[in-house]
This record gives sequence, C-alpha cells and structure tokens, in this order.
Amino acid sequence: MRAGTIYLLIALVLLGLSLLKEKQRTKEAIRATVKIFYVVMPVLIFVFVLMGLIQAYISRETIAAILGQKSGILGIISAEIVGCIALFMPPAVFPFGGYLLKNGASYGSIAGFVFTAILIGITTLPLEFKLLGKRFTIFRNIFTFILAFFIALLMEVILR
Amino acid sequence: MKKLFKNDAFQFLSLSVVITLFIYALNVSKGMIIAKTVYLTFFEVLDIIIAVSIFIGLFQVWVKPATIVKLLGKGSGLKGFILVCTFPILMGGSLFTVFPLLKTLKDKGARTGAIASFITAWGGKAPLLPLETKFLGWPFALVRLGFVVIFAFIMGLLMDWVGEKPTKLA
Repeated sequence: MRAGTIYLLIALVLLGLSLLKEKQRTKEAIRATVKIFYVVMPVLIFVFVLMGLIQAYISRETIAAILGQKSGILGIISAEIVGCIALFMPPAVFPFGGYLLKNGASYGSIAGFVFTAILIGITTLPLEFKLLGKRFTIFRNIFTFILAFFIALLMEVILR
Repeated sequence: MKKLFKNDAFQFLSLSVVITLFIYALNVSKGMIIAKTVYLTFFEVLDIIIAVSIFIGLFQVWVKPATIVKLLGKGSGLKGFILVCTFPILMGGSLFTVFPLLKTLKDKGARTGAIASFITAWGGKAPLLPLETKFLGWPFALVRLGFVVIFAFIMGLLMDWVGEKPTKLA
C-alpha cells in the first residue's frame, strides 16, 4: 500500500475518534481542514510549476555545481539564502527540497534550505518586528541563519 | 470580480497557468515538461496533503492556543524549557499564525529565550512528516528532528543571553 494511503487512513481514523468524542469540534476540525487544503494546494501547484521550470531550463549539472557536495560551505549558504527569500509555506518546502536532492543537491544544502525556508521569511519580518520587537527579530533571524548553517554541515557529514 | 483577483488561491493558480502557457507558447516541449511535472507531482502528493490537512485541523480544534499558553506558561525552569523545545514540534501552521500566539506568550511574561526556542522547535513540523519522509527520506527527517530540539535549546540560551535589555545610547 502507498504511504499516502496509510496516512490518509490514520487521519480518517483520528477524525472518526474525534467525531465519537465531540460532534461540534469535529465539524470545526473539518472546516479547518478544508481551509488549510484550500490555502496550501494553490501554493503547492505554483511550486510544482517552479519545479517544472527548473526541470526544463536548468540542468542537473548546474544544480549539482551550486548546491551539490562539491559546492561545500558555499552551497549550504546559497541554499540558506534561497530559503530566506523563498515565499514557500512549510508544506511546499519538502517537495521542492526533494526535487533538488534528486537533481544533485547535497543533504547539507537541503537541510540549510529547509531550516531557513521554515524559520526565516522576508515576508513575515514586518509582523515579527511588530509583535515581538526589533531587537528580538534581528537577533533571532541572525542566530537562526548561523545555527542552521552548522546543523546543515553536521547533517551533511552524518547523512552523506 | 475585484474580490476574485485579490484571492490568494486564485492568484497562485492563475499565475501557474499563465507561466505554463507562456513557456508552452515559446517552446512546446519545455511547456510539456512543466505540465507533466505538475501533473505527476500533484497526484503523488494529493493523499498526503489531505491527510496532513486533517492532522493539522484536528490539532487546531483539540489543542487551543489558550491550552498551549497554559501548558507552556513562562517557559521557565528546566521542565518548562524542555517542553518549549519539544511540544511546538507537533504544531502546524506558518510563521503568520505562530507570531500572534507568541505575542500572547510574551504578554503573559514568557522569557525571550523561551519564545525563540518555541519558534525554532515549531520548525520541526511533525505534522508534515508524511511529506518530509516521502521527498527526503526517513534518515533525513529523523536526523533533522533530533537536531531541531538541540537547535531550539541553543537558540533559547543565545536569545536569553542577548535578552531584551533597554538599549542605552552612548
């Protein structure tokens, strides 16, 4: 059986349990689920188009040269920068990362990309400024970038 | 009509269609590569995305923000710190949904470090494990998850160290 089918079955069982426990909340959960799906799917399709664009115009060799094992430290840093500016929501990060991995990027680069894509967002900076303060925002983003780099480096060594 | 154009879903979908058609007009075979990539990947992830949406939806109604704030409290003490470095891994959402929750935590008196640990741990993204393992494999996902906890821990220490001190000018 496909992994996706198994996850879907688990999700449906959980939904059933929730329904047994409380009908009203389960209704809310289904409404939330539909909303999440509706928000995420169009972005994913857009990311799939980007993947197609890369597939059509950028060769495997180019990706490997920029983000592959031989690119080393610079590869990880480039991947982190891409992650910072990519306007991906978290669910889109993994298909795109997997796509780069399949096309010659190293585990370290992918790890750097995944971390910054989830944790640093150019578009969310103003909100972070407003809600959590300037000092917090600046230090958090800088530390995240630096720590993500070292973890990505370690992951490259472990997974290679 | 105006409303439709401001709709995010509509914008992303129409942009996707426009790009694909534009490339197709320039070069038929390259356009087909894009269409094929979208088609294949879409059906590859459809069931996973539905499952993940259900996980996150259920989590949202069964674990309310108020519960999270109560559970994590100020994130102080060793127990609070460990909790703040691990529990958020289970949550879904994007930075846009997490920041307002953190503001509440901050207003309740959570330490700077605890808030930073929270965001970092939230980056663990356990609800997305089905996607992560499908595209990057179990070894990558598990190693990354392990590092997320360490990452969140160090982040908390660092942010507490720089703290929210009033900045003195000269």
